[in-house]
Amino acid sequence: MNKFYIITRYSFRRSVWAIIGWGIPLMLLGIITIPFYDLVAENERQLRPVLENLKPLVKSFIGGDEAEQIFTPEGFISLRYFAFLPVILGIYGSVSGSGLLAADEERGILDFVLAHPVSRGQLFWGRVISFTASLLCIIGLGWLGLWIGVAKAGSMNFPPFQLLLPYLSVFAVTWFFACFSLALSMCVPSRSSAAMISGILVLAGYIITTLAKAIKGLENWAVFSPLTYYQSNAMMGFEIVPFIKLFLVTLVLLFLARIGFGLRDIRVAGDGGWKLPFIRG
Amino acid sequence: MNDKESDPAIHVNNLSKSYGSFLALKGIDLIVNRGEVFGFLGPNGAGKTTAIRCMLDLIRPDAGTVSVLGKNPQSDPVAVREYCGYLPGELRLDENISVHSVLEFLRELRGGGENCHIRAKELADRLDLNVKSKIKNLSKGNKQKVGIIAAFMHCPDLLLLDEPTSGLDPLIQQTVLEMVKESRRSGATVFFSSHVLAEVQAVADRVAIIREGQIVEVGETSSLLSGRAWKMKVMFAENTVVRTEEIEALSGILLDEVSSDGRELKLIVDGEMDELIKVLAGYHVESIETGRPDLEEVFLSYYGKVRERDHLGGKGNE
Repeated sequence: MNKFYIITRYSFRRSVWAIIGWGIPLMLLGIITIPFYDLVAENERQLRPVLENLKPLVKSFIGGDEAEQIFTPEGFISLRYFAFLPVILGIYGSVSGSGLLAADEERGILDFVLAHPVSRGQLFWGRVISFTASLLCIIGLGWLGLWIGVAKAGSMNFPPFQLLLPYLSVFAVTWFFACFSLALSMCVPSRSSAAMISGILVLAGYIITTLAKAIKGLENWAVFSPLTYYQSNAMMGFEIVPFIKLFLVTLVLLFLARIGFGLRDIRVAGDGGWKLPFIRG
Repeated sequence: MNDKESDPAIHVNNLSKSYGSFLALKGIDLIVNRGEVFGFLGPNGAGKTTAIRCMLDLIRPDAGTVSVLGKNPQSDPVAVREYCGYLPGELRLDENISVHSVLEFLRELRGGGENCHIRAKELADRLDLNVKSKIKNLSKGNKQKVGIIAAFMHCPDLLLLDEPTSGLDPLIQQTVLEMVKESRRSGATVFFSSHVLAEVQAVADRVAIIREGQIVEVGETSSLLSGRAWKMKVMFAENTVVRTEEIEALSGILLDEVSSDGRELKLIVDGEMDELIKVLAGYHVESIETGRPDLEEVFLSYYGKVRERDHLGGKGNE
């Protein structure tokens, strides 16, 4: 049996509980949140003037110039469901990516596996593919919950594919943070420090991207935030360019992580020191 | 395996490895012949595990070369590992799955067929291990058994065992040593490190002693022991006044220890026994015990536990 497939299958089985733990709440988020659109639509006359009179800075946290879109079905889904997903799944990506290899290394398991006839490349790509499959399963559960929620909301009617479009962007952002923390885990002393740095980037990126809608001076900095390329409103039109940009940067991070893993010494267990594996002493 | 049969099983040449400012291996040279059981002795932190991990490309040396079964682990690690069975010194396993799942995963990684599966089952029975148990419910010794099965189940050409009997009860220790001997009889090479010097003495054909990253002694176990000076314990009768300076003046005689009452002397004899016997004949001797140092004493001699290191000698690397 192909070793790559063996690694992927074994790693995927280990992530079943993570899929359930992240996927079910995501599914419930859609089932519970989306039907509230009917209530929002009914109260549009009262709510619209409140939104229009909000200060720009406050309004930026609920969609900025697009805040009034909340009264449309696509806008409601975008602002009340998809707006928070990159933060939620960004944290998932940061934790999972950082632990993809470093967790087993710190637990002392990785060297025993690598002492068997499997290359570092097979182990690396097997784990990456299994993570990708896990992420797709989580997104799939979320999409299912969204679909159920849309069905429960009497005034919504979307084809399943249109509900899937924003998830492409969710996938791209989550995969970015996973690959970023994976690359970090090849350099920094511990898995937890990689997850922490990536988690900070998730939150900082969210804040900068959000505030940039109201503060002009932040627009130049927002270019460096991965969440700037996130399209929560993709149901109204998916733009391929931001997706490609994010995807390409992610691929670069992924290959840097692969090179790093190929060059580094495998620890017996525990945390290691700072090491830039791309620079060999 | 497609390699030269004349190549040694392991050939290490000027191997160096550092961890930051700490030099773990200082240019060691080692040759392990095919078909032998080779013991690798050293205290904690001497460099044993580092050397073994270099052989499997788990870590990369700073300098020097390693050849395992005729192949370079750095350029062809998968091919090396295919014919090796490895037991780490500190074995850790995925806690949330069963023994059976771990062994099946490792067997699949090796491309092991039904024979490997049967052999794993036989080894589990022999080591009295329940394969249905979850790893997290196993004791340290039982986890060690899992590692032993994983190392032996595919009948490798080379076994790299880092403290194989660690955590095992005496009966299972004997079983493992039997397995080592069986592997040798079937033509495999066994390279193992251990702190239990008695078992190394029992199974190893040759031994290397490593100290602070350097090989200080390599040789056949039997010659390592037979080439050493004799130990002698002499008990004198009560009220016997022994002139110890008379004994110390003899060539090749070291007075190692004198009991508080002066009745018992421990000597190391690396010279003519005849002169000593003649001197002792002048006293009322109750008993004399003699013997060769065991491997533990040889080992400890490199760590300053025995005075007069020169009497226990030392040879360079082969």
